[in-house]
Amino acid sequence: MKLNVYRRELRGEFRRLFRDPVLLGIVSVIFTFLAIFILFPLVKILQHSLWPNGAFEPKYFMEFFQKVYYWRPLINSLIVGALVSVCGTTVAFIFAYGITRTDIPFKGAFRIVAMMPIVSPPFLIALAAILLLGNHGVITDALNLDWDIYGLPGLVLTETLAYFPIAFMILEGVLSKIDPSIEEAALDMGASKLRTFLTVTLPLSVPGIASAGLLVFIRSLEDFGNPVVIQGRFRVLTVAAYHAVTGRYNLPLGSTLAIFMLIPTLMIFVVQKYYIARRSYVTVTGKPSGIGLKTTERRIKIPIFIAMLALAGIILMVYGVVLFGSFTTLWGFDYTFTLANYAYVFKVGGQYVWDTLRIALVATPIGGLLSIIIAYLVVRKRFVGRGMMEFVSMLNFAVPGVVVGIAYILAFNNPPFQLTGTVFIIMLVFIFRRMPVGIRDGIAQLQQIDPAIEEASSSLGAGFFRTFTRVTLPLVAPAFLSGMVYMFVRCMTAISAVIFVVSAGVQLLTVALLYEVDQANYAAAAAYGYVIIGIVLTAIVLMRFVVGKLFKGGLTPLGGE
Amino acid sequence: MAKTKLLIVSLLLVGLLSTAGLAAETLTIYTAYDADQAQVYIEAFEAANPDIDVAWVRLSSGEVYTRLTAEASNPQASLWFGGSNTSHIAAAKAGLLAPYTESLAWQYIAPQFKDPEGLWIGLYVGYIGFVSNTEFLAEAGVEAPTSWQDLLKPEFTGEITIAYAFASGTAYTTLGGMLTAIGSPDPGFDADDEVYVAAFSAQVGQYNSSGSAAATMVGQGEFGVGIVFSHDIIKKAVSPGYPVVMTFPAEGTSYEIGGMALIKDGPEPELAKVFYDWAMTTEAQDLYEQFYRLPLNPEATLAEGSVKATDVNVLPIDLIWYGDNKDAMLDKWSEVTGEY
Repeated sequence: MKLNVYRRELRGEFRRLFRDPVLLGIVSVIFTFLAIFILFPLVKILQHSLWPNGAFEPKYFMEFFQKVYYWRPLINSLIVGALVSVCGTTVAFIFAYGITRTDIPFKGAFRIVAMMPIVSPPFLIALAAILLLGNHGVITDALNLDWDIYGLPGLVLTETLAYFPIAFMILEGVLSKIDPSIEEAALDMGASKLRTFLTVTLPLSVPGIASAGLLVFIRSLEDFGNPVVIQGRFRVLTVAAYHAVTGRYNLPLGSTLAIFMLIPTLMIFVVQKYYIARRSYVTVTGKPSGIGLKTTERRIKIPIFIAMLALAGIILMVYGVVLFGSFTTLWGFDYTFTLANYAYVFKVGGQYVWDTLRIALVATPIGGLLSIIIAYLVVRKRFVGRGMMEFVSMLNFAVPGVVVGIAYILAFNNPPFQLTGTVFIIMLVFIFRRMPVGIRDGIAQLQQIDPAIEEASSSLGAGFFRTFTRVTLPLVAPAFLSGMVYMFVRCMTAISAVIFVVSAGVQLLTVALLYEVDQANYAAAAAYGYVIIGIVLTAIVLMRFVVGKLFKGGLTPLGGE
Repeated sequence: MAKTKLLIVSLLLVGLLSTAGLAAETLTIYTAYDADQAQVYIEAFEAANPDIDVAWVRLSSGEVYTRLTAEASNPQASLWFGGSNTSHIAAAKAGLLAPYTESLAWQYIAPQFKDPEGLWIGLYVGYIGFVSNTEFLAEAGVEAPTSWQDLLKPEFTGEITIAYAFASGTAYTTLGGMLTAIGSPDPGFDADDEVYVAAFSAQVGQYNSSGSAAATMVGQGEFGVGIVFSHDIIKKAVSPGYPVVMTFPAEGTSYEIGGMALIKDGPEPELAKVFYDWAMTTEAQDLYEQFYRLPLNPEATLAEGSVKATDVNVLPIDLIWYGDNKDAMLDKWSEVTGEY
């Protein structure tokens, strides 16, 4: 009975789709893209792991749990992920609480400092950790300490600093959206501030904390830039998979490691998306938000303020020491001022700057447009496979960069899709890897726009294209453009996926940075890092200026993940 | 809306236009020299050949071999410049290189420094040395290591740094030295070798991707002892003024022949030959003086203070065997050390 109803509905949806040829065309094209550039590479990973030579022969899969050096990196990654998730979310909660719930000064400055790790290239925090806390670091020597930063301590420290901003952005949103009248009610009934916090505020933010924690966990699990510098002998899965592929070209092993990286991240993704996200107690009521109760009590806000000051100090020290290092003659030894590192970067890396820029400039608008089209289809149109389109297009959110990189060389090294060695494969990596954030922001934006406006356009006789370009697009333009800024930033700072697909003809700045790190040429690496930061900041400022001129509303804040 | 559209279109145009302007004659090279060093050689070549533009990527020699394997069906580069020749030998065996015997240099280079079929040629020779941070030695109260066995001293636990054997020619050359010096000198692992290599690996504080990185790291004091080619030790740790001392194993040390090869089916075979011929000239080989390498062109200048064959005890290592059996040796190395 039920099946019949379902069948009839399905037939109806198909009929509707075929009646609208433009929609049908666009939907088919997008499904083709998603199939080729998201699903096909992942299928290839499975194939190379389980059927390495055509026949079913899961050698490494079977050996994975037998050989300590295969499973140990997975356990190590999970340990680091769990610790970073707890530390990062805690730090982020303090930060978010301080900004949304107290009247401490310098909130704007704190927010900017907290965002710095997001716009900066990989490796820099790990480099700073070595310069400050390494066996011969500035702080280590000054305090005459005897510790070892390489391995677990360094990984937890650097990744906490790198990924707490993501948790901070989520928690800031959650805390500022909790309806203050609930807390007021608790206080009115005589609950103490602490009791209100523990029994009202905290439980209401639990889904947000869980989301933030899981997201940080995923990001830590897929981190490549920090471990490759500071892991010591504490091997993590991303670096192991990278070496299996670039060191030995052992594709079956690399694919198998990739699968074991994918299992936890996909599980978390599904839990986060379909379980926690639905338990959100925060409702958008249309009431003005962000004016929750603000603590003015000194005994609460002073410790928070001190904690925030300490963290901001650490972040500024990290970027300061790297900037300082980029102007020194001999990193860690001779601190005479020099411009030689920058001269070297522009001499050797001048071409890389140009290559990276032009790839980012092409990939960014294409990716931005594609995300907004998908977001539009998912929110506004009813067609067969709509849920599937959303799921698949968001899938790369959970696929670690190293897995995407390995998947792309497996999928696009041979006909019919021979793309390795070209700029296109790099652009495709950028576009499909960064699209989920654009889609998510686009969906959020579109859900807030009354469809009646678009319906009015249709009733007046405008077709799909006309309505989309004349009504929808202008309405979502601010989100769209800030999404593009985010995408550009990620293109300039990405490393884990593209490291596999760069070729002799096309080099990227981040890859050049990695090679300098490989050679322990830390001053040049720092200079590369600051060239990237310079470009990213210029782009953000430029985009804000341009958008400010075009749209009165200006940009929505820089989207994160 | 028109404005947004304009913005997108102009962004796209800028991007696409910039893709168009490529130079007419570009030679693509994989080089195993450190980037700052490769830049010196390549700039000199471009100055001598102003009509050729060189696009280059720096990879450790093991990584070049891997890259060539990956790109076998669609080679992206034409020439492999520098790096320990065990990787060139492995690549030659795998059919990834193209022969070139018409070069003038191939005629005069001694047979032990070139492939009989012209699949690779030697550029320079180098000897493995130990670099130790003197501040570390003083603090730990230990002498700089002067034998392979010394590296197992408890004072050095977690203080040694070296590259991964699969990534770096330096590390693979070192492995060959260990296998020869410890136990039976026959090539390959015997029981003593396995015990030694496992014990040595437990001493390592960090494995690197690039061989010469260890010299810098020891200079900076991040690690106590590094195992690196002596020319890199002098160039990257001694001459910058770091507090280091260079020693050699008394049992004998390992050596490399730095190699060069044409890549089979590379996109620019003719340009690659121009570079190949140039790299063997006295003019090009004189550049090694700045980097303390020992040029194989007999007329090139030898740097003062460089480490020569007469200065060290060199082990009789069968480089051809280690090149031919590289994959099997690395599998064994992974099995013994747990690193891959």
